[in-house]
Amino acid sequence: MPDAIPQRIARLINARLAGVIALAFAFLLITGCATSPALSETAQQQLPRQSQLSDVPFHAQRDYQCGPASLAMVLHADGVDVEVDTLIPQVFLPGREGSVQPEMLATVRRHGRIPFVLDTSFEALVTELAAGRPVVVMQNLSLPAWPLWHYAVAIGYDLDTREMTLHSGEEAARIESFRRFNATWARSDRWAFVALPPGELPEGVAEDRALEAIADYEQVQGAAAALPAWEALVGRFPDSALGHFALGNARYELGDIEGAIEAFEHATDIHPDLAVGWLNLGLALQEQGQRDAAQEALTRAATLPGRWQAKAEAALGAQ
Amino acid sequence: MKKLCRILSPLLILALVLGSLSVSAAPLAPGSDLISTQAALSAERADSDRERIHEVLARDDVQAQLVAQGVDLDEVEARVAALSDAEARQMADQLEEMPAGASVVGALFAVFVILLVTDILGLTNVFPFTR
Repeated sequence: MPDAIPQRIARLINARLAGVIALAFAFLLITGCATSPALSETAQQQLPRQSQLSDVPFHAQRDYQCGPASLAMVLHADGVDVEVDTLIPQVFLPGREGSVQPEMLATVRRHGRIPFVLDTSFEALVTELAAGRPVVVMQNLSLPAWPLWHYAVAIGYDLDTREMTLHSGEEAARIESFRRFNATWARSDRWAFVALPPGELPEGVAEDRALEAIADYEQVQGAAAALPAWEALVGRFPDSALGHFALGNARYELGDIEGAIEAFEHATDIHPDLAVGWLNLGLALQEQGQRDAAQEALTRAATLPGRWQAKAEAALGAQ
Repeated sequence: MKKLCRILSPLLILALVLGSLSVSAAPLAPGSDLISTQAALSAERADSDRERIHEVLARDDVQAQLVAQGVDLDEVEARVAALSDAEARQMADQLEEMPAGASVVGALFAVFVILLVTDILGLTNVFPFTR
């Protein structure tokens, strides 16, 4: 077999070439997302060059418990007195040797703070830090193929040295370059949240996101706890029909029926097609004994097509 | 032990289902009660009634999964109650694939070398001594 050897060599060269191409491709994949985060022009101008929150207490993580430790830090920073040892059974999943994102948010709710997941931008994160609020971030410290998921608390940044400061793992106020932080943070799809007392909202929060965060909180903690948050929401978004509607519901639940009627009227003024707004307005008026006004509101609700129509008709029938 | 489990598990499931049904079904009950903000928001997102029922089942599913993951029985109910409807659904559907923040490396030597290089390049942050 005289020509077998050149063939084998040719095959070997081919294999090596393929290997080199694969390696180059893999390298491109890895480095592709590792860029330094960019801030918009306006953000560059408006944000302070640096901000460090010195009053965020540090709790070193034990074993795999960066989740409970991070929660303890943000909750303590906001004056919630809860120990890491209390948080561990509330958020840690022994079977996964870690904590998952939904339960991080749920645990914040249990301790009377509203978790707001931030926009997935570096700007949103830095803006919260500039406003003096520590931010819990999720990072994958390793590569996507061998993930090393980690929660840390961002407590500061410096636009001049391009460095983040984080309470992370067993290290207080760890300095991480923007580039390295951005690379590890991007692998969690830039997941970050702040834990705020009812009545405070993140700087750049979108209306629908705020509505949902507060509604989820209300479901756990009740109307009395959520009331200041609804008031803050309509303060920030005066044209939010659903915001006024939610405020009305909270007031109604707390026995302030006149205040509820006022809020429902506001909601239907802003958005005359809000059937559920007319319906609740009608029901609240009915309870107040204002039959004519109730009749009018319920009729509006009954004429708008949708899922509330049946209930509005039933209420009209009971008039 | 297995036998005991076989008897206990259905009972536990039943107890959890009944326990959560009464709570979750409350907003659907007829009467002159106002429409809750949560119901209005989920209607706004065009969730159907079927999805609401799915959510009730999701919470039970999450409870069972948390128990299986070793969460204390005393804690399970409160943990599930603190989840939003969307979160409960997400947990029920994909708890296994969800990233769990923990920070442990259980990697092999080859991985160690690769991560060491990427650490030095500033792409990862596994080994503190590379900084």
